[in-house]
Amino acid sequence: MARIELDHLAHSYAPDAPDPAWALRPIDMVWEDGGTYALLGPSGCGKSTMLNIISGLLRPSQGRVLFDGRDVTALDTGRRNIAQVFQVPVIYTSMTVAQNLAFPLVCRKVAPAIIRRRVGDIAERLGLAPHLQRRAVGLTADQKQLVSLGRGLVREDVSAILLDEPLTVIDPQMKFELRKILKQINEEFGITMVLVTHDQNEAMTFARTVVVMNHGEVVQAGTPQDLFEHPATTHVGYFIGSPAMNFVEARLEGGMVRAPALGLARAAPEGLAGGDLTLGFRPEHLAPDGPGQRIGGRVTRIWFEGLEEVAEIARNDATFRARVPSGMFRIGDDATFALPDDRLLVYREGRLCLAGARPAG
Amino acid sequence: MLEIRDLTHAEDGVTHLDHVSARLAPGTLTTILGRTGAGKTSLLRTIAGLLVPDSGEVSLDGKSWSRLPPWKRPTAMVTQQFINYPHLSTLDNVAFPLVRKGARRAAARESARAMLDRVGLSAMVGRRPSELSGGQQQRVAIARALVKQAPVLLLDEPFVNLDYKLREDLREELVDMLRNESGLIVLYASTEPREALSLGDRILLMAEGRLLDDGEPQQVFGAPATIEAARVISDPPINILPLTVGEHVAAGPFGAQDAGDLTRDLAPGEYRLGLRAADLRPGGRHVARVVLSEVSGSETVTHLDLAGFPLVMHEKSVVTHPPGAEIAVDANLARGFIYGADGTLLRREAPHGQD
Amino acid sequence: MTHQPLDPEPRAPVSRTLKLALKYGFILFWSAFVVFPFLWALTTSFKDANGVTNGATWLPWLQYQPSTQGWASLFGGPGGTNIVRPYLNSIWVTLGASAVSITLGTLAAYGLSRFTFRFLFFRNADITFFFISQRIMPPIVLAIPFFLMLRALGLLDSLAGLILVYVALLMPIAVWVMVDFFNSIPRGLDEMAWMDGCDPVTTFFRVILPNAVPGLVVAGMFCVIFGWNDFFFAFTLTFTQTQLLPVSIVALNSSVTPWWALSASALVSIAPLVLLAFVVERFLSKGGLAGAVR
Repeated sequence: MARIELDHLAHSYAPDAPDPAWALRPIDMVWEDGGTYALLGPSGCGKSTMLNIISGLLRPSQGRVLFDGRDVTALDTGRRNIAQVFQVPVIYTSMTVAQNLAFPLVCRKVAPAIIRRRVGDIAERLGLAPHLQRRAVGLTADQKQLVSLGRGLVREDVSAILLDEPLTVIDPQMKFELRKILKQINEEFGITMVLVTHDQNEAMTFARTVVVMNHGEVVQAGTPQDLFEHPATTHVGYFIGSPAMNFVEARLEGGMVRAPALGLARAAPEGLAGGDLTLGFRPEHLAPDGPGQRIGGRVTRIWFEGLEEVAEIARNDATFRARVPSGMFRIGDDATFALPDDRLLVYREGRLCLAGARPAG
Repeated sequence: MLEIRDLTHAEDGVTHLDHVSARLAPGTLTTILGRTGAGKTSLLRTIAGLLVPDSGEVSLDGKSWSRLPPWKRPTAMVTQQFINYPHLSTLDNVAFPLVRKGARRAAARESARAMLDRVGLSAMVGRRPSELSGGQQQRVAIARALVKQAPVLLLDEPFVNLDYKLREDLREELVDMLRNESGLIVLYASTEPREALSLGDRILLMAEGRLLDDGEPQQVFGAPATIEAARVISDPPINILPLTVGEHVAAGPFGAQDAGDLTRDLAPGEYRLGLRAADLRPGGRHVARVVLSEVSGSETVTHLDLAGFPLVMHEKSVVTHPPGAEIAVDANLARGFIYGADGTLLRREAPHGQD
Repeated sequence: MTHQPLDPEPRAPVSRTLKLALKYGFILFWSAFVVFPFLWALTTSFKDANGVTNGATWLPWLQYQPSTQGWASLFGGPGGTNIVRPYLNSIWVTLGASAVSITLGTLAAYGLSRFTFRFLFFRNADITFFFISQRIMPPIVLAIPFFLMLRALGLLDSLAGLILVYVALLMPIAVWVMVDFFNSIPRGLDEMAWMDGCDPVTTFFRVILPNAVPGLVVAGMFCVIFGWNDFFFAFTLTFTQTQLLPVSIVALNSSVTPWWALSASALVSIAPLVLLAFVVERFLSKGGLAGAVR
C-alpha cells in the first residue's frame, strides 16, 4: 500500500529546447493510500505520461516521485511494486491462466503451496476460477484484462495498481462487469488505484477523486460531485456532463455580472476585475419552476433521449441547453426556466471566481 | 426509396442477417441500433456491396442492385477504423472519388476544398492523413463521402474510436453537415441507445441478425415491440421481471401491495413485466443489496440485488451507494410494460407525468 | 524552480569517460574490420607481382610501386580479358530479370493476398509456400533441366535464355516479400477504393501500388543482388557468345594467381551494388517506409 506524492513533477520530451513543449506541466500532488483516482482528459492531455512516470516506465525531466516518503524517481519499474494494466491485455499466451497468475510469485521464488493459495484466491475474486486451466490465448478480451489485473493483485506487496484505459478493447456489455469487479477489488483490498480514461462516466463511477487534465496540466481534482457542481475552469464545465455546461459572455456593471443576451445577472464577487467574463450554468440545474432567476427563449432544437430530451433554446443570438421531460416542448415553443442563484457561476478568463453567492436584492 | 428485402446471410454457423427487410425514404437519417455482433455492420456492408448475402435483395427506386459491384453502386461509406488514402494529401483524398468519376483534377480539387471547408479542415488541405488526429481523419473521411453526392450514405459507428467528448461534438457537427444535403438516405450504425434516439428520424433495432423493431424513436422507445427490443433500446438497462397473475400477484420480488392496479384487465397466467430503472426509487419496504453504483453527470445508476433478482435503479441526483450496502427500494409497478409469455407487447407503460 | 532528479547511484566521472571510450573504440574497431577488405583490395589492385610478394604494404609510392597492370588486364591488357561486354551483359540480364520478376511477382502476390484460392487441399498459404520453396532447392538440381529446356528452345548461350532462367529464380523472392507486404495493407483500403468507384484493377494500380513502394524497393533490391551475384547458372548456361561478369572474372586465372587483377575485378563487381545500397539507404531514411494506414 502506498501514499504517492508528486513533487514538482514535470516532463518534456525535448527538455533542452528553447521552448520545451511540456507533455506534463510542473505539478505537486498527493494521492492517499488506498484511494481511488481517475485521470480524466482528452487524448494528448498528459494523463498517460503521468501514469508512466508513476509506474517508472518514463523518467521525468524534472521533479520527484515518492512512495510513502521514499524517493523512487530513479527506481526501476520492477522495484516499485506497481501493477499496471494496459489498454491491450498483456498476458503470456503460451501459459495457462493459473500459470499467468502465478508468474510474479514464481519469479520471486515463493513456496508452491502459497502460490496455489494466492492464485486460487485471486481467481475466485475475479471470476476466473473456472478458467484456471485454460490456455490464456483462448480467452475473451475482458477475461484477458482480468488476468492482467490478477497478475498484479497476486503479489502481496503491491503498492498501487495503475490502469491505462483498460476498458478500451472491452465489449460494451462486458464493460459493466469489469467496472464492477474493479470497484469491488478496490473496496476489498484497499490498494491505491489510479485509472486513466477519456470517458467521464468511467472516471466518475470508479474514482472518489477525479483529476481532470488538459494540455499537460491538472485543471481540477475533486469528487465527481465537486467537478459537476463547481467546475474550476470552463474546460472542466465543458468536459464533464452531457450536455456540456452552458456558457454566456458577461460584463461587469456596477457590482453585478451581467449577461444581457440571456438576461442573467448576479452579484460580482469581492474585488472582481473586469475583463473576459463568462457566466456558466448546467442544463440539469434548470427547472421548469422554482427559486431563482428566470431564463427563457424559443426552442430551436430538440434531441430525444428517451425519458428526457435535451432542448436548445435561443434568445437574442445566444443559445443554451436544458434537460426536459420528453414531450414537454416542441420546436418553436417558448420555454422559460428557473435557475437557482447558487447554480450560476462566474468565470474570469476561464477560471471560476465564486460559487454560491446570493445577489443583492 | 431504398428497399431492403429479406436479406439473409450466415457464415461459419453464425447468422449475421436474418430476413432483414426495410424501406428507407430519401431525406431521412435512420439509425441501426444493436449490440456488437447484432448484424449492423453486415447490413451496411451488404448495402454497400462489400458483402454478398445468401439471399435477399437491395434496390434503389426499383432498380435492383443484385448484380452491381460496389464500384458501380451510388453509395458512400464511413467506417469505424480511420481509412484514408495514405499516399494522397487531404485535398486529393477528398477529390479522389470525383476524379474517378471523370472530373478534371482542378475542378475536383475546387469541390474538395469547399467540402473540407464545411467540415472545418481548410487549414489541413496539404497534410497527409498520417499527420492528422483521429477526429480530423474521420472528418476527411466524411468529407470524401459527402463530396460524391451519392444518394445513400452509410456510417458504421464512425466516432466510436474517438474520445468521449469529441464523439459528442462530432455527432452534432455531422447533423449540421447533413442538413445541407437534401434527399440523402443516411444509415448510421450505433451501439448506444441515447445516440440512436437523439440522432435519427427512425430507428432499426437489431439483435442476432434479426430486425426487432422499426419506427420513430419516440415510438420504439415508448412501446418496444418485444422484450428483446426493450432491452436493446434501454439505457440504463430495463428491469424484466416474471409476472404471475392469479390468486396471488407476484412480480419478481414484489407482491400484490406494490402491484396497484397493474393487473387490471389481465387474465390469470404468466407474463413478463418491463420496468424502467427510473421507476425504482429509494425508500419503501424492500431492502436490497447494492452491487454497484455508477455516477454519470448528475445521475446515479445503481445495480441492486433484491432477494436474488438483479434490479437497476436510476436516480436523478448524485448519491453514493457503496457496494454491499443495504438500501430500501420501492417500485412503481403500475408504470411497467406488460409482455406476454411469448415476449410480445400487450400493454405499454402508463405515460410519465401522471403521478 | 528546477529540481534536479536525485541521483541514487552517483557515478565517478572517470568511469563515465571509460564507458564512452569503450563504446567508440568498439565502433571504430568494427568499422575498421568491415572496411579493411575493401582497402586491401584497393591497394592490391594497384600492385604488380613484386608488390604483392613483398608482404602487406599500404602506402603507394612510399611502400610499393603502384602499377596499373591489374586494371589494364580488365580491359584487354596483357594476360587479361575484356570485361566490358560481360559487365554490360550482367547489367542487362540482372535488370531485365528483376523487372520481369517484380512485375509478375507483385501481381501474383496481390492475388494471393486479396483473393482466396483453393485447389484440392491447397490454400493461399500453400501456394505462397510453393513459390518460396523454389529457393530451397540447391541450384545443381535445376542445372540439367534448365540446360535441356534452353537447348530445346535454342536459347542456350543467349541473353534471353538467361533472363528466362533468372526470372524463374528471382520471382519467388518478389512474391515472398510482396505477399507479406500486401498483407500488412488493410483490406479496408481496397474496399474504400471500391466504394469510391475503382474496379479491382484500378484499385491495384492507383491505390495499392503507390502504398507498396517500400516493399517494391526491398523486393527489387533482393532481386538485383541475387541476380548479379549468381555464378552457377551463368557458368552452366553460357559458353562463348554470351558471357556474364562472374564467369569472365574466373577466366583471369592462370598459372600465377593474378592477385592484382582479381582485386580490381572484385572491386568492379561490387561497385554497382554498393551504389545501389547508398541510393536505397537514402530513400529508406527519408521516410520511404512511412505512410502506413493507421
